Amino acid sequence: MTDAMIEFRDVTKRYGPLLANDHLSLTIRRGELMTLLGPSGCGKTTALRCLTGYVRPDEGRVFIDGADVTDLPTHQRELGMVFQNFALFPHMTVQDNVGFPLMIRNLSRAERDARVAQALRLVRLEGYAAHYPRQLSGGQQQRVGLARALVYRPKVLLLDEPLSNLDAKLREEMRFEIKEVVTRLGITALYVTHDQGEALALSDRVAIMNRGRLEQVGTPEEIYEHPQSRFVAEFIGLSNFLEGSVLAVDGETMRVGIGELGVTVPALPNVGAGQRVLLFLRPSEVELLRPGDPGGTNVFEARVEKTTYLGDTIDYRLVFGQDLPLRVQTDAQRRFAPGAEVRIRLPRIRCWAMTSG
Amino acid sequence: MRLLRAYLRGLWDGKLLLGYTLLASLSLLILAPFLMIALRSVGKGWFGRLWLPPELTLEWYRWAVEVGNIPEVMKNTLIIGVIAVAVSTVIGIFAGWAFGRRQMPGKEVLMALILLPRMIPPITYALGVAKIFYTLDLVDTYLGVALAHVSVCAPYAILVLSATFEGLDERVLEAAGVCGANTLKRFFYVVLPLIMPGILASMIFSFTHSYNEFTLTLLTYGPHTVTLPIRTYLAVGDGYWEITSAMAVIMVLPSLAILAMIQRRAEPEKLVGGFKGV
Repeated sequence: MTDAMIEFRDVTKRYGPLLANDHLSLTIRRGELMTLLGPSGCGKTTALRCLTGYVRPDEGRVFIDGADVTDLPTHQRELGMVFQNFALFPHMTVQDNVGFPLMIRNLSRAERDARVAQALRLVRLEGYAAHYPRQLSGGQQQRVGLARALVYRPKVLLLDEPLSNLDAKLREEMRFEIKEVVTRLGITALYVTHDQGEALALSDRVAIMNRGRLEQVGTPEEIYEHPQSRFVAEFIGLSNFLEGSVLAVDGETMRVGIGELGVTVPALPNVGAGQRVLLFLRPSEVELLRPGDPGGTNVFEARVEKTTYLGDTIDYRLVFGQDLPLRVQTDAQRRFAPGAEVRIRLPRIRCWAMTSG
Repeated sequence: MRLLRAYLRGLWDGKLLLGYTLLASLSLLILAPFLMIALRSVGKGWFGRLWLPPELTLEWYRWAVEVGNIPEVMKNTLIIGVIAVAVSTVIGIFAGWAFGRRQMPGKEVLMALILLPRMIPPITYALGVAKIFYTLDLVDTYLGVALAHVSVCAPYAILVLSATFEGLDERVLEAAGVCGANTLKRFFYVVLPLIMPGILASMIFSFTHSYNEFTLTLLTYGPHTVTLPIRTYLAVGDGYWEITSAMAVIMVLPSLAILAMIQRRAEPEKLVGGFKGV
């Protein structure tokens, strides 16, 4: 008995010259909620379809619960799936939609009714059994989709951008609802999305894909705070990038030269003096100081170029050093006008160096 | 003139009664020829410039049935219609699936080719059909006349069912698969119920076209395969206007029945599109 519930082993899928999945290897642990995150066309949907069986990989194998399912037809894979466009059966009532997987499995009427009622309770749609999908709102339809996917207790729950067709407010609400239901049932779930907010809020782990390859796999914290590539950093949120070269390594920290400035950042393993690195820093992590405030490590003079009022925060475009642009977001309490001279501090532990572009 | 202006002003003001009189006159205009035939089929001694028949009778219907052999002719018409509907629907399902679900090169050209027979003048097309059928010995057989009708019915069936299959959501089928349904169960529990309105629409279209088809029948029928439109046409040639009228009225009845059925069972526009999405 392995810990792996889903495993992609070296999965490759080509569409003509396009590599949709390029030797994708990924393991999803039992009971884990894993998000496959990436821009459209990155291959995340292809990966999901390799798992459902709607796409057959050109190379590599797919495992569910230790069994090789690569050659198994979809209907024998024991999956539950929630679709972006809900994909409910329009000619069936909510009751029959949710009961469909049970009917296919020849469960008795009584057993079916009991489990449908239970599933509908789980998604808080008790009173809607006799409704048709078209009579429900988008959010309700998607909850029916969730109930249908869960009703026969599949080994794995797949969610294919389940919230993209809902409006922003409902999306937020449903996000927590899905998370809660999945956690309560302890089911292994693979969630596919292009929305990094959803990925961070929902997942135990996030796998970021780009051009058919995995860029990084990690917890939301790891992904957000310690991206391993520029792509991950940019995809997961606003970022500042500063190019430089390592001046000296001193135990836990190292000094990186950016133009004429020296920045102290946490050291990277296997990185020595002279090597080019890319410093990455979230705009919300830069501290804005007044010109008179005391200096210190990583404190530099800067000038405000442009400000944008965002309500709870203010977005500053600064320049420092030799015309280095820097984006900073702070709360709206301290305000600086364009042209103002300020001081910035780049918190040492927030500056994350990476070697790959 | 002043009366007309007052009438139009009344319409503009939304006078219900005025609107109804206008509608009624329009309907009467469209229905007038049919009313004429209906009246003629029950009128006796109605000659010259009389506006109404002096005497009413059902005698012409008896003549139509006995001399015109209407029951036999009706049977022919229905058998031919059923064969034509069955063949067209099967063709429509397969071709509609291909047109509606598959991406293939030259799809538009193929579709145009299928619709081409409807663009050629019917009599030209029918002459070609007749020539082929004489060679194949299909003239004056139920199958032959029905196949000739299929050339008219099938394009409609294909059009309607292509639209139906196009409206079928691929992901709904995918969902059924994920839910555990194999190909057969997917077809019977999901595909079939969803395309049923399209199939019904296509069958109704096909039947109506076969039932009313004249030109193609004229060149492929024989003594054993006289259909209602042909029988009526021949009766006109014989010069018995009253009996012809009775036949014409009988001929309308099944169409009315179908119309009533559609009106009651479903909205026609829903039949054509199938269930589009959710």
